[in-house]
Formats: sequence, structure tokens, C-alpha cells
Amino acid sequence: MSDNKLSRRDALKVVGTAAATIIGLRMVKKANASESVAGERQWAMVIDQNKCNGCGYCVMACRAHNDIAPDITWNPILEAGVSGEKNVYLPRPCMHCAKAPCVEVCPVEASYYRPDGIVMMDYDRCIGCRYCEVACPYQARSFNWDAFTGDNPAVPEWGEPEVERRPRGVPEKCSFCYQRIDRGLSLGLEPGVDPDATPSCVVVCPTGARLFGDLNDPESNVSKALKENPTYRLREDLGTGPRVYYIPAVADASQEV
Amino acid sequence: MYKNLRSKLVITPWLIWLGIMGLILLTGLVAGIFVFWKGLVITNLTDLVPWGLWITIDLSSIALSAGAFSLCAGVYLFGLKRYQPIARTATFVGLIGYTMAMLALILDIGRPDRFWHAVVYWNTHSLMWEVTMCVVLYLTVLLFETMPILANFDWLCKRLPKIAHLMSGTHHYAPILAIIGLGLSSLHQSSLGAMYGVIKARPFWFKPEMSVLFMLSAIVGGISLTLFASMLAGRLTNKAKVNDALIERVAQFVGYLLIGYFYFRAWDTLATTYTYDPGRSEGLHVMTKGPLAFNFWIGEMLLGMIVPMILLLYKQTRVNPFWRMLALFLVAAGVVAFRWDTNISGLMVVMPFAPGQAIAYTNYFPSLVELLSGSAIVAFGLTTFSFGVRYLRVVDHSLVETEHEKVKVKTIETVTA
Repeated sequence: MSDNKLSRRDALKVVGTAAATIIGLRMVKKANASESVAGERQWAMVIDQNKCNGCGYCVMACRAHNDIAPDITWNPILEAGVSGEKNVYLPRPCMHCAKAPCVEVCPVEASYYRPDGIVMMDYDRCIGCRYCEVACPYQARSFNWDAFTGDNPAVPEWGEPEVERRPRGVPEKCSFCYQRIDRGLSLGLEPGVDPDATPSCVVVCPTGARLFGDLNDPESNVSKALKENPTYRLREDLGTGPRVYYIPAVADASQEV
Repeated sequence: MYKNLRSKLVITPWLIWLGIMGLILLTGLVAGIFVFWKGLVITNLTDLVPWGLWITIDLSSIALSAGAFSLCAGVYLFGLKRYQPIARTATFVGLIGYTMAMLALILDIGRPDRFWHAVVYWNTHSLMWEVTMCVVLYLTVLLFETMPILANFDWLCKRLPKIAHLMSGTHHYAPILAIIGLGLSSLHQSSLGAMYGVIKARPFWFKPEMSVLFMLSAIVGGISLTLFASMLAGRLTNKAKVNDALIERVAQFVGYLLIGYFYFRAWDTLATTYTYDPGRSEGLHVMTKGPLAFNFWIGEMLLGMIVPMILLLYKQTRVNPFWRMLALFLVAAGVVAFRWDTNISGLMVVMPFAPGQAIAYTNYFPSLVELLSGSAIVAFGLTTFSFGVRYLRVVDHSLVETEHEKVKVKTIETVTA
């Protein structure tokens, strides 16, 4: 009887220690996470629905620069009704949420926040469980059900691949062309201003419907656009805090300009 | 000699059973190899329905393994010692169930070569991480808990008696293992529900009751499956020795549990209409009036809860082995239907994210490869259980006395009724 009591206490101790360790680890992680969100640069995108004409150049440039399979689109353009006489479109990149459901649910931290706010995927760590795909409210993720082999039909017409192709069995998504931002910054260029440091969809857009820049910089074109225009974000009610802002289409916008 | 061989090859029901199971396992193995070779492209899973049949098998086998922790907790922690032989069977069923879940997951994940990442890279915020860790740890606990059963293997007893003795010795730690098992199971059984419950993007899932429902249904279904399997084994082979009075008492308990489960499930479903979020009422519609209506009303509600509730609480039908077995089987099947409905109802309603966008619906039916490999996982469970009954005395309610004499550490002094 006494033996039994002792061993039970021991077992509880073990369980308690384990729980304390997990809680401790979690607190350390939380501290790191809050640090990382408040980085110096906070990238964001503004999409003007008055200007977007649904040409789809951004889709193709994205496919070429990020070497995406023809059956996957990181950045589809949805039809969003009619305003006046004009069709309205809604391009939908990854929202790079400040509180991203995909990052929260990923069991292995393959999805994570960069200090500059970009929600990144570590394709070498991902186990392919697709929980992030289920959790994303914006359907921003596409799974590589099959391997993408062979030529990319968007290359070289729309650009040259800048990143590695993703393997079969992992979901992929828009990365705000982090490779262009990082390379551009290392060359002393300003993302959002210099085309070589700016996401390819922004660069290729023939109507200038997309703006990219730093939210922490009041002089950046995204900060100005947010100040000067009414904007909305997708499913703000969910509290995900998207970093992609939309300027809604106004019926007589074309006459005003 | 030839004659001798031929007389040995008499076709017995056991051999036919093994033959059928072997066939299913073989086709499933081929299907599984195809999945690893060709990738998930040969399934009917899509970006809109990324989780399908395999996840249902995974969830169901974990749920139906819950008899292990609940009965072990009852026997070793709450002092209901006389049910120990049933808990013993439940432990073995649990070991099989969790192995089945692991098999289903290996098939389901896109990168099976990286399955170990979940143990190495921790995202403590993720419910799936928590579930994975708990399942891995609990599988270890189950292995220790089933050691005394595995020690019954004749070959082991003869060839390696010392190891067999050591293995049966783990029985002394049963109370400690029961505590750890109760903790881990409470965590992951409910977290499996919470895994769905935290998804804001799917309003039909997004509710705190999800974890309670998963936990409750797992306990009800898990105990039922163990009782059903024990009774079935007792009917089919003389290797299984069943104490019918014992099973009947637990079956009555299942009947009472069912009232709670039914109340909670019905209340939860009806309460879906309290609020309107886009997608929430649509999900309810899909489940109660749409393509899942038959599953929900007949599979879950009528056959999964109401009919077995009556059969198990009405004495005349409960004492009758046939009706009792039928009821227990229906409960287990109803829990599987619940897992299927839960998973698919949330995915079938495609949530709009753009202003003015309409709610869309999608559908899913498993592909042949999914069905074949899925049935092989089930066949694996059935085969392992039948081997256990035949060679490890998994269902043997007469074992109780001898084993209890060996126990040096007494659990709790209780007055046996």
C-alpha cells in the first residue's frame, strides 16, 4: 500500500515536470513570437480594385518567378461582380496574416513568421499533413498532389525562376517574393520602389493596381495609399490581421481620375 | 508424410478467415505501395477536401481505442477491480487501434519520410502537435500495458522464459500506467475534437463543444467495441472465455453513458442555429438535410444512439447476447459515422472570403486506392485481434484470479460487490 502511494506520487511528479517543461517552452516561444512581429520592416500589399482589369499578367509572372506548376496558382484572380459598367476583380495572394491560422496549427513549425511579417514555409520541414490548408480562410495554399516535372510553360516569357521547385507532398503558397526582397535589400534597393526588390506581381501589373511597401515607413507608397483611400481586408471578422489591403472599386472612379 | 501434410491442411473457418484477411491485406499493401510511389495524386482528395477516408479511419480507430484508458482507469484508479479482464482486452484493442491510426497517418501525410518531424520540431501551439506527441507517448504506455498479454505467447514462454517473466512483471505498474494513460488520453481524445474546433475558417467546426463530444463519443464507442469484440470472440472460438455477467454490467453502463452522449450531441446540433455565421447553418443543412442526412439521422442518431440505448437499458434485450452484441456494434459504428460526418461536413461547405462571394459546396468520395488501403488497415486490426485471441488469450475472463494473485502491489482496497 505504502509502496503504491509512493510510486503514484512519483508518477504525478513526472507528469507535473513534463507539463511545467511544456508550459515553460511555450512561454519562451511566445516571447520570441511577439518580438518577431515587431520587426523594423513590415511588408504589406495594397491592391486597387479600380485599376485591376483581370488581365492575369500577375498570375503568369508569379508562376515564372516562383517556378509554379501550371495547375497551381498562388495568386488567382477572382471575379468580384460588376461596378457600374466595369467588371471588378479580386486578386488573392497569401494574406500574410499577423495572426495566421496556418502558423498556429502547423504541428512542426514549417509555417512561421519572418520578423518582417512574411508568413514563410519551410518546405524541408513540412510533413504534408494539410492542416494549414484546412485552417486557411483564404484558400491561399495549394498542395503538391503530384510532382511538378518538366518545363514551366511560363518560362522564359514571363520571367526566370528564382526559387527552388517544391517537392511532391507539401503545400505551397505565395511568399511575397521574399527572394526578391532579400536580394534587393542586400543590394541596397528599396522593396516597393525598385522593381528588382519588389514582388513580381507588383512589377508586372500593367495598370499599377498593386502597391508594395513597408507599413512602418509613413512615406512608403502603401502607407500613403492606406492614408488616402478607404481600404478593406478580407474576412477581417476572423481577426487574422491580413497584410493585403484592397481599395474597393467605386462606380465612377474612372471618370474622377 | 504426404498424407500427414494433407490432413494438416484441413480447411477450417480459421484458415478461411485468414485467407480473406490476407487477400484484403495484400491488395491494400499493393494500393499502399502505389500511394507511396505515385503520391497522393491518385486519391480523390483535393485542396478543398484535403482530409478524407484515411483521416476518418485514423480518428475512428483512436476513438474506438478509448476503452483502454477508460476501463483501465476504472479498474486501477476507481477500484472496479473485477472488470480487470475486460480492461485487459481493451488494452490490446487499444494497442491495435493506435497502430492502425499510425498506419493511416503514414499513408495520409504527403511526406511519410518525415513522419518523425512532429516529435523533433515542436509547435506547442498546434493541437495536431499535441495529439501527435500524446499518441506517440500513449502508444508507448499501451505497449507496457500489453506486455503481460504479450508474455502469454507460448513460444516466448518456452524459449525465453526470463523475458516472458519480466514482461508479465510490468503488470505491477498497471496503476501508474493507468494514471499516465488517463492523462494522455484525456488530452488527445479531446484535442482531436479541438483540432477541428479551433478552425475559424470552418464555422461549422468552430465551437468549444467539439472536444467534449469527441471525448464522450470515444469513451462510449471504445468500451462498446471492446465488449463487442470480446463477445464475438467468445462465440466464435473456445480460446476466448467470456464472463457474460461482467460484460452485461458494463453494457448497462454503456447504456447510461449513451443517454449523456445522445443528449449532448442532440443539444449541440440544435444549438448550431443559435448564431448565424456564414457557413454555420449551411453546414447544419448539409448534415441534417443534405448528403449527410442519412448518416446523421439513421447512422448516428437512430442506430448509433437511440436503438442501442433501448437495447442496453431494457433488461430483456440486454441479457440476450444477440441483442446486446448488436447494440454494442451499433454504438461503435455510430461513433465512426460521427467522425466521418464531422470531418466531411466542415469541408463540404466552401467558405467565401471575398465580399459578396456565395457559399459553394464540394463533395468527396474516396478513390479505389483509398478504399483498398483503408480496408487493409481495418483488416490488419481484425487479423491482429484474432491472433491475439488465439495465441495470447486476449479475451480470457478466467485469467483474472491467477493474475491477481501475482500482484504484489495492491491498487486500492475495495469491497467487491
